[in-house]
Amino acid sequence: MSPFRRALRQMLTIARRDFIATVFTPVFLLFLFAPALIGGMSTIGGLGAASMADGAADRARLVVIAPPPLAAILSREDARLRKLFRHDERPSTLSIVAPQPDPAAQARALMGEQGRDTDAVLYGPIDRPSILVPARSRLTGNYLEALAQATVSAGRPDAVVVSATRIAAPRPAVSLGGQHQSGFLAVFGIFFLTLFLAGQVVGTMAEERNNKVIEVLAAAVPLEAVFGGKLIGMFGVAVLFVAFWGTVLGQVAALIPPAIAADLGTLTPAVGGPAFAILFAAYFSMAYLLLGSVFLGIGAQASTMREIQMLSLPITLVQVGMFALASAAARLPNSLLARVAEIFPLSSPFAMAGRAANSPEIWPHLLALGWQALWVALFITVGARLFRRGVLQSGGGRPFWRRRPRDPISAA
Amino acid sequence: MPEQRAEDWAVTATGLIKRFEGKQVVGGVDLAVPRGAIYGVLGPNGAGKTTTLRMILGIIEPDEGYRTLLGCERPRDAGDRVGYLPEERGLYPAMKAREAIAFMGALRGLAWGEGRRRAADLLAQVGLAHAADEKIRKLSKGMAQLVQLLGSVVHRPDLIVLDEPFSGLDPVNQEKLEALILAERDRGATILFSTHVMAHAERLCDRLAIIAGGQRQFEGTVDDARATLPAQVHYQPRQPNPALAAQLPAGATPEGDGWRFAMPPDGIEPLLNRLIAAGHGIAGLTIERPTLHEAFVRIVGSVEDRRFADRKAAA
Repeated sequence: MSPFRRALRQMLTIARRDFIATVFTPVFLLFLFAPALIGGMSTIGGLGAASMADGAADRARLVVIAPPPLAAILSREDARLRKLFRHDERPSTLSIVAPQPDPAAQARALMGEQGRDTDAVLYGPIDRPSILVPARSRLTGNYLEALAQATVSAGRPDAVVVSATRIAAPRPAVSLGGQHQSGFLAVFGIFFLTLFLAGQVVGTMAEERNNKVIEVLAAAVPLEAVFGGKLIGMFGVAVLFVAFWGTVLGQVAALIPPAIAADLGTLTPAVGGPAFAILFAAYFSMAYLLLGSVFLGIGAQASTMREIQMLSLPITLVQVGMFALASAAARLPNSLLARVAEIFPLSSPFAMAGRAANSPEIWPHLLALGWQALWVALFITVGARLFRRGVLQSGGGRPFWRRRPRDPISAA
Repeated sequence: MPEQRAEDWAVTATGLIKRFEGKQVVGGVDLAVPRGAIYGVLGPNGAGKTTTLRMILGIIEPDEGYRTLLGCERPRDAGDRVGYLPEERGLYPAMKAREAIAFMGALRGLAWGEGRRRAADLLAQVGLAHAADEKIRKLSKGMAQLVQLLGSVVHRPDLIVLDEPFSGLDPVNQEKLEALILAERDRGATILFSTHVMAHAERLCDRLAIIAGGQRQFEGTVDDARATLPAQVHYQPRQPNPALAAQLPAGATPEGDGWRFAMPPDGIEPLLNRLIAAGHGIAGLTIERPTLHEAFVRIVGSVEDRRFADRKAAA
């Protein structure tokens, strides 16, 4: 059997053991359903927060002090202007109050009224109004100013109501915005998945060290194969996780409202949808293997669980750093920054996924995948060597050029 | 003396040196383990036995020196033909006994299915058939140790390296282990094991090496080792006679009705002839060959004495 085939067989043996040892445990179910638990708790929290925010919004208002003849026009123009805002960005409810002899004092009194939040009060002549508004609510003041302008325009005898005819335009096959969005989503998706999954690799050698199994493995298998096997085993776990949630989300996607589905249709990666999906999967794999191999090498040096736990912060920071670099690269395709992010091994999968969204060429991806695979092998080799020297306390032995030919052995 | 190539030996080691943090642990060990033999590496605690075995197996690299394993200069190349039981036993606690044995076989190239089948047979052989589907964490220490030992032979290796295999085993399991070692030798495997318990070495070893102070102090058969000390003679004359001492070898001491002395270099017969001729006669004669334990203590003790003297001189 060739050394490569033997190493591959040994790697797969270790990967199989790790995969089974990880997946066939009750804890794995907790891990598998963690997103559902997190999502459930986030939804409950979000609903609570939204409910509280809605309650507060119900009590907030904008006030216009205006004579009754203007009230109808103000209401109509307010209704028209509100349509320009998204639901969650709309200004507070408008209240129209009849003026008293001192409108300025009346405005201050309304502003200070207990039991209701008043965002701003407009008073005085409608064409030269005064707006009482807290400094932080500049946009609210702008809205009341625009409302006054619209009311004045609508109140003129020669006012014209414009009614436009809307014609549905064909959606462009490829839009720069869609490409950039696709790029960002790809970078974020890989970041999210690796953040969730790759960090697990850091502590996998601890089991062998604690159980003293490492001595058996090191005697039977090259350490590079041990490291590679453990990485592949945990990658298998990650793939199972992604496949499970991919299937679940695929089913949920059928329930997406058409409007949102249409929005998703604007995501137009430059390489095309199917190629983009394949490249996304490939770059997720490479991102996992690259970061995993680094984390595995570092984690193998740790001798206690405390040391492994201490590593989680720097590991997260590395991932966030790669995400930031690759996000910037996706926003600025063809820039020097993008090139650096594409070449630097740890950010390369993220940045190249972004590139797939922005540029139609395929060959750079083949090159990049090869480049990344090379670095995975390098990180595994370095990690194994550091482990051999640091943990097994093995020197490197004599370099081959200093080895003298072996003497024949005399019979004892 | 005929020259033999490395391929003719199961293990060769030439001038193996290892230092940890500047301290020399193994200081130039030479070994040559014949194929098909049971070979013991004996030594006191801290002699460098485990480090030597780890270097031979390629777990750690020697700082200097060369070794071959089953004719291969790179131990990894012979990996699938070697079985190893380390001094620090290690198994995955959540694995079942049969799976653990099959796993260790799979690491050495044995197919999983075949590994499981052989594991069941081996477990039955050592009386552990009932534990085949028990998780390792539920087994006693001795049972787990036997499981690991079975894992090191399941792929039927040509060379089996056992580091202190008897430690932690009760007498019943020690006997099972001895039987297993002999069965493996009969199958044609070479067994290289380390121990500091002389009784096992005396019963099992075809050849042995004694390591002390990081160096090989002796190499040969058990009989060779015992021959490093003269046999002890207990001679009883027909009549007690204080003048007899002058005719006995130097260092003879009275013991009961007779005398105890070391076997003369030219053998016992000339002395006996002289004693008979002088009319002392022979009422009783016992010749006790030294044990391996005694030979070991002398060999290792002399090394320790030398090291102590060296340290004192250096101080």
